[in-house]
Amino acid sequence: MDRRTLLLNGAAAAAVAATPALAQSGKEIVIGALYPLSGSSAPIGVDAKHAFETALDIINNNGRDIDLPLVKSASAGIAGMGAKLKLVFADHQGDPQKGRAEAERLITQDKVSAIVGTYFSSVMVTVSQTAERYQVPVVAADCSSPSLHRNNLKYFFRASAHDEMFSAAMFDFLDSLRKGGQKIESLALFYEDTIFGTDSSTAQRKLAADRGYKIVADIKYRANSPSLTAEVQQLKTSNADVLMPSSYTTDGILLIKTMGELGYKPKAILAQAAGFSEQALYDAVGSKIEGVITRGSFSLDLAAKRPAIAKINELYKARSGKDLNDNTAREFMALLVLADAIGRAKSGDGEKIREALAASEIAGEATIMPWKRVKFGPDGQNADADPVLLQYLGGKLVTVFPPQAAVAAAAWPMN
Amino acid sequence: MTSQALLQVLTSGLLMGLIYALIAAGLSLIFGLMDVVNFAHGEFLMTAMYAMLGLVVVTHIDPMLLLPAVAAVMFVIGAAAYAGVVRHAMRSGTNSGMVQVFATFGLAITIRGLAQFFFTADYRSIPTSWLAGRTVSFGDVFLPVPQLYGAAISLATFLGLYFLIGRTDFGKALEATREDAGAVALVGIDKNRVFALGWGLGAALVGLAGAILSIFYYIHPDVGGPFALIAYVVVALGGFGSIYGALVAGIIVGLVEAITATLLPPSLKSIGIYAVYLAVVFARPRGLFGKI
Repeated sequence: MDRRTLLLNGAAAAAVAATPALAQSGKEIVIGALYPLSGSSAPIGVDAKHAFETALDIINNNGRDIDLPLVKSASAGIAGMGAKLKLVFADHQGDPQKGRAEAERLITQDKVSAIVGTYFSSVMVTVSQTAERYQVPVVAADCSSPSLHRNNLKYFFRASAHDEMFSAAMFDFLDSLRKGGQKIESLALFYEDTIFGTDSSTAQRKLAADRGYKIVADIKYRANSPSLTAEVQQLKTSNADVLMPSSYTTDGILLIKTMGELGYKPKAILAQAAGFSEQALYDAVGSKIEGVITRGSFSLDLAAKRPAIAKINELYKARSGKDLNDNTAREFMALLVLADAIGRAKSGDGEKIREALAASEIAGEATIMPWKRVKFGPDGQNADADPVLLQYLGGKLVTVFPPQAAVAAAAWPMN
Repeated sequence: MTSQALLQVLTSGLLMGLIYALIAAGLSLIFGLMDVVNFAHGEFLMTAMYAMLGLVVVTHIDPMLLLPAVAAVMFVIGAAAYAGVVRHAMRSGTNSGMVQVFATFGLAITIRGLAQFFFTADYRSIPTSWLAGRTVSFGDVFLPVPQLYGAAISLATFLGLYFLIGRTDFGKALEATREDAGAVALVGIDKNRVFALGWGLGAALVGLAGAILSIFYYIHPDVGGPFALIAYVVVALGGFGSIYGALVAGIIVGLVEAITATLLPPSLKSIGIYAVYLAVVFARPRGLFGKI
């Protein structure tokens, strides 16, 4: 054992010893939030910070009169402990190694009781493994790679859907269009080269084979490239019936701009959210992609049925100047689910919170999401987080699938 | 792949390569003049893009006409960076090479931080412009007008540089200072003034490139990184300090990148660039047109 591992293990032991003591004596339960606060994805982190702060404000202030069962139970639970939640933000810059180091710092120095994060699935891989080592629960708010909950981790939880579930919804949608008489044969996959893009494409490739769609272009591109011309040229040559991008915001904007420059108008775009959930992308290139469809976990349309959502959206908007979207809604949800578990655990101890999370059972109607319920499997994944598909119509995203959530019929094809 | 698709890839690579060349020109100029690698080069590019965005929002003039204004702003920023930071770093008695590296690196982090503080981390685009989104097509080959315009500006700039460096007193002063900064002082040339002008010129060049990029690329505080990385490769490939080397190497990098992305999986497209770079470093360490 060299000096470094000795130090590390010493720190780990100290942290484990210190956590319960702190939780018993303190009135503050500290949650670490790991996001890209600088670097090319900083806007995501800044929005996430606003979403978490909105949730924190609601939880620490007895629910702020919001009539939603999960909000009530979470805030009552924390108040019942005589405690307040506290958030500590850390910046991983989209880098898995920085994520690991920051997770370690949050756990050993800030003595966090749990971690939420991280937007990037690639960063969540290292963060979830680090937290497992220190026995600190991690709630993945907005990372969607299916491999994350297959690492045999006891302390990893994800309330929202993963990309196999999202992709299955996308193919259900394509199947329903086919039944309705649309001719949809060929698909073009276009995905970035980190775990998010590759996992997403793996799920889509498998589904396409199972359900009889032909993949005519399978393009893995380098994230944050200065130019995507050659890539788009290949997409154009393939002329698929549906273009399926898995891209973060920067690449998404460049993709759409380059498509315009090369005169490529796909018949339809069905996106694996990420960048296509972000207002920034629509601000930059929205007029070029009227009719784009993206998967999501959340839709503001739901506010018509659950007025509390509109109220939460107002609170979030007051902080950020933006409406809740797929990402920020999942972040808001993650802190509520975690707070609910902490309230039931009546403790800031990692193991007790883990047990409470594992015992969570929250009805979908009690939340801001269109889900059936929140109930974690042994692998930490919530299998009942039903995705929705949203189409960009007339300058906003409206729900078009599944039928029970849809408020408009999908316009197909887009071009 | 059809011949038209191939032609499309090659012309796109060429147009992008000319912009890479323009980005690298300023870096090469500063290095050639005073042996300082400017690690804040990508941040200069980013600053120029925000300058263009700001000017367009305030004046409502088409970005195409604002290029000289952005170059002028960047000239001032470049000269100020020399006077405020680099000049002091160069005075360091010990290990001045490392001090310069850290100084420009620190400058880069500072500029990026300031940009995120003042402009927020949000992605932005130039609202609308006369050029944006226009393409001309020959058969199935599409040429985006903003990139064509950028390529023309790039070529014109290199031509201008040729005359500026080869035919003017300022160019002679630059060359002389680069040869022997101590000796020029004896003939009455103020070394600091030449260096400040050199930094201003270098920043103005990358400013032009940033101004063109902002017409068709998104803008955010970290946008400079990937372009700066390519600029370093271009400068090393073309030969440190050689302006014409930067032009040739920029075009090579643009073409190689486009061809690699077509032949290999696009996620491996940087491999082509670095393979060519490695080959040149092995066969000709001073770069294609390097003098040192």
